[in-house]
Amino acid sequence: MMQEVLRLQNLQKSFGSVRALKNASLTLREGEVVALLGDNGAGKSTLIKAISGVFPVDRGDIYVRGEKVSIRSTRDAMDLGIETIHQDTSLAPDLSIARNLFLGREPVNFGWLGVFAPLDLAKLRKAASALLKRVGISKKLDADALVSTLSGGERQSIAISRAMQFAAKVIILDEPTNNLGVEETHGVLRFVKEVRDAGHSVLLITHNIHHVFQVADRIIVMRRGEIVAEQTVADTDLLTVESIITGADMSALLKEARAK
Amino acid sequence: MVQAVMTIAAEDDALGARGRSRLLRSPQFSSFVILIVLLAVFAVADANFLSPLNISNMMAFLPELGIIALGMTLLLTAGEFDLSVGAVFGLAPVVVMLLVQNGGVDIGVALLAGLMLCIAIGAINGLIVTKIGISSFLVTLSMLLVVRGAALYITQGFPLKSWDQPGFFVTLLAGSFNIGSFRFYTSLWWFIGLSLFAIYILRYAKLGNWISAIGSNRNAAVARGVPADSVKIWLFIATSVLAGLAGMISAFRISAASPVAGTGYELEVIAMVVVGGTALTGGRGTILGTIVGALMLRAIRNGIVLIGVPGLAYNIFVGLIILAMLILHALLQKNAARG
Ligand SMILES: Nc1ncnc2c1ncn2[C@@H]1O[C@H](COP(=O)(O)OP(=O)(O)O)[C@@H](O)[C@H]1O
Ligand SMILES: [Mg+2]
Repeated sequence: MMQEVLRLQNLQKSFGSVRALKNASLTLREGEVVALLGDNGAGKSTLIKAISGVFPVDRGDIYVRGEKVSIRSTRDAMDLGIETIHQDTSLAPDLSIARNLFLGREPVNFGWLGVFAPLDLAKLRKAASALLKRVGISKKLDADALVSTLSGGERQSIAISRAMQFAAKVIILDEPTNNLGVEETHGVLRFVKEVRDAGHSVLLITHNIHHVFQVADRIIVMRRGEIVAEQTVADTDLLTVESIITGADMSALLKEARAK
Repeated sequence: MVQAVMTIAAEDDALGARGRSRLLRSPQFSSFVILIVLLAVFAVADANFLSPLNISNMMAFLPELGIIALGMTLLLTAGEFDLSVGAVFGLAPVVVMLLVQNGGVDIGVALLAGLMLCIAIGAINGLIVTKIGISSFLVTLSMLLVVRGAALYITQGFPLKSWDQPGFFVTLLAGSFNIGSFRFYTSLWWFIGLSLFAIYILRYAKLGNWISAIGSNRNAAVARGVPADSVKIWLFIATSVLAGLAGMISAFRISAASPVAGTGYELEVIAMVVVGGTALTGGRGTILGTIVGALMLRAIRNGIVLIGVPGLAYNIFVGLIILAMLILHALLQKNAARG
C-alpha cells in the first residue's frame, strides 16, 4: 500500500445555518488520483478551500504525511506542498504567463530588499520556458504572452503546471474542465495523468463521471456535506456511482444493465 | 523620451518585431503620440507656448499634481482609488503651519507631524476599504469631506501665511534654480525621482507584480499567498503621503497655506492617470503613461488659455479631450483583445 500523504478527519464547516461540511474524512495516498464527486452544493469546493487555507474549518483535523498540521492561510497550505487550482480561475489575466507561474514565489535578486527586491527577469523567463516545455505546451505558448490572450484550456494547463513546478505533494483541481471544449478537456485530463505519473497525488473535483473513469484510481462521493461512498474505480461502474451521487434508487436500472 | 518609452516597454516583452508592435499598440504610446500632436498644435497656434517663461510655469505646476498621480496610478492598478487626495493636499500644510505659527513648534517637528497625519489618513482609508469591505469610492469620498472640513474648521476658513524664511526645508521642497533662461523648482527633481522609483516598483519589483495581480484578479493573488490587504493599505498610505508632500511643496512655493488648496485635484489626478492608459478597473497600470497624462493635462490647461479659448469655456475642451483619449484607449484595448 502506498504511503498516506494527506488525511482529513471529521472536518466540519458551517456558513451561518448552512452546514456545508458535516463530518468529512478522507485519505489521499502517494501517486494516486482521487476523484471527489457530488452534485452542486454537495460541499466539494468548501472541503478543498478548507484544505488550501482559504478559510479555517470549525472543527476537525488535517494530517500531512501523518503529522497533524494547522492550515491558517493559503501560504501555509503552499508551504506544506498543497497546491490548489480553484474553480474560479486562479490566474491574473493582465499578467504574463511567466509572471503568473511565479506569482507569490517570485525569483528575485537582492532578496533582503523584501517586497522592493527586483524580479530576476532572466531567471523568471527561463524557468517559465523550461516549465512550458516540460509540460509540452512550449510550441504554442510564449512565456511573455498575457494570460488574457489564452484560451480556457491553455489557462488550466498553465495553472496545473504552476502547481507541478513547486513539486507539490498534493495537487487539488476544482472542476478543471468546466467551460472547456472537448479537445481542451482531453488535454487537461491527459495532463492530470502525467501529473500523477510524475509522482504527485491529485484530488480531482468534478461532476462529470465520465472523466473520472478515464483518470481516477479512487472515487469519493459527497452528498449534503457528507462523504457517502468511497470506492476504487476498478470495483465499480458508472451507473452505481451515478446512483450514489443523486441518492436515487437506481437498482432497477442497475439490474437492467447487469442483465445485458 | 520616445527612446525611453521604447526601451522600457520593450524590456518587458521579448525584444524584436513582436515586442515593438505590441509597444505601438500600448496605451502609453498612443497617449504619447497625442501629447506630441497637442504640443505641436499649441506651439504653432501661439509662439509663446514654447517660450522659456511658459515652459517654466508649466514645469512649476506639473510636479504638484504629478506626484499625487504616481501614487494614484499604483492604487488604481491594485483596483482601488482615492478621492481624498485633494483635501489632504490642503490639510497637511495647514496643520504644519498652524503648529509652527500658533504652537511655536519647530518646522522640522511640524513637518514630521504632518507626515504622521497623512499616514494616519491613508491607513484609515485602507483599513476601512480592506477590513470592512466598503468600496474605496465611498470611503474616500467621506474622507474627502472630513479632511476638507477639518482644514476649514481649524483655520476658520482663512489662508495662513506659509513659512517663507529660507532654510533647509524650503530649499528641499520648493527651492528654485535657473538653467539658461528656464527657471525650475526642486519639486521637479522630486517628481523625476519618485517617477523613476514608481516605474521600478511597478515593472521590476516583486511588489509591482503583486500590485498588478491584486488588481487583475484579487482572489488569484490571495490564493498564491499575496497579502492583498496589506499591499492595498500601504498603497493608500503612500498616496496620502504623496498628496501631503505635494501640498507642502505648493504651500512653500507660493508662501501660503490655504484650507481650500487642492479642491478638485482628485478628479484632475484621476484624469491624468486614466488618460495615460491605466485601467480604472485595475490590473493594468503604467507610470510612463501617467507622466504623459500629467504633461498632457498641464499642457492642455495652459495651451487652451494661450490660444484664446475663453476662460469659462475651457473645461469644455479639457473634458472633450479626456473623453477622446478614453475612447481611443478603449478601442485599442478591444483591438488587442481580438488580435
Ligand atoms: N462562502 C460561502 N458563504 C455561504 N455559503 C456558502 C459559501 N460557500 C459555500 N456555501 C454553501 O455551502 C454549500 C456547499 O457549497 P460548495 O462547497 O460550493 O459545493 P460544491 O462545490 O460541491 O458545488 C452550498 O449550500 C453553498 O451554498
Ligand atoms: Mg464547487
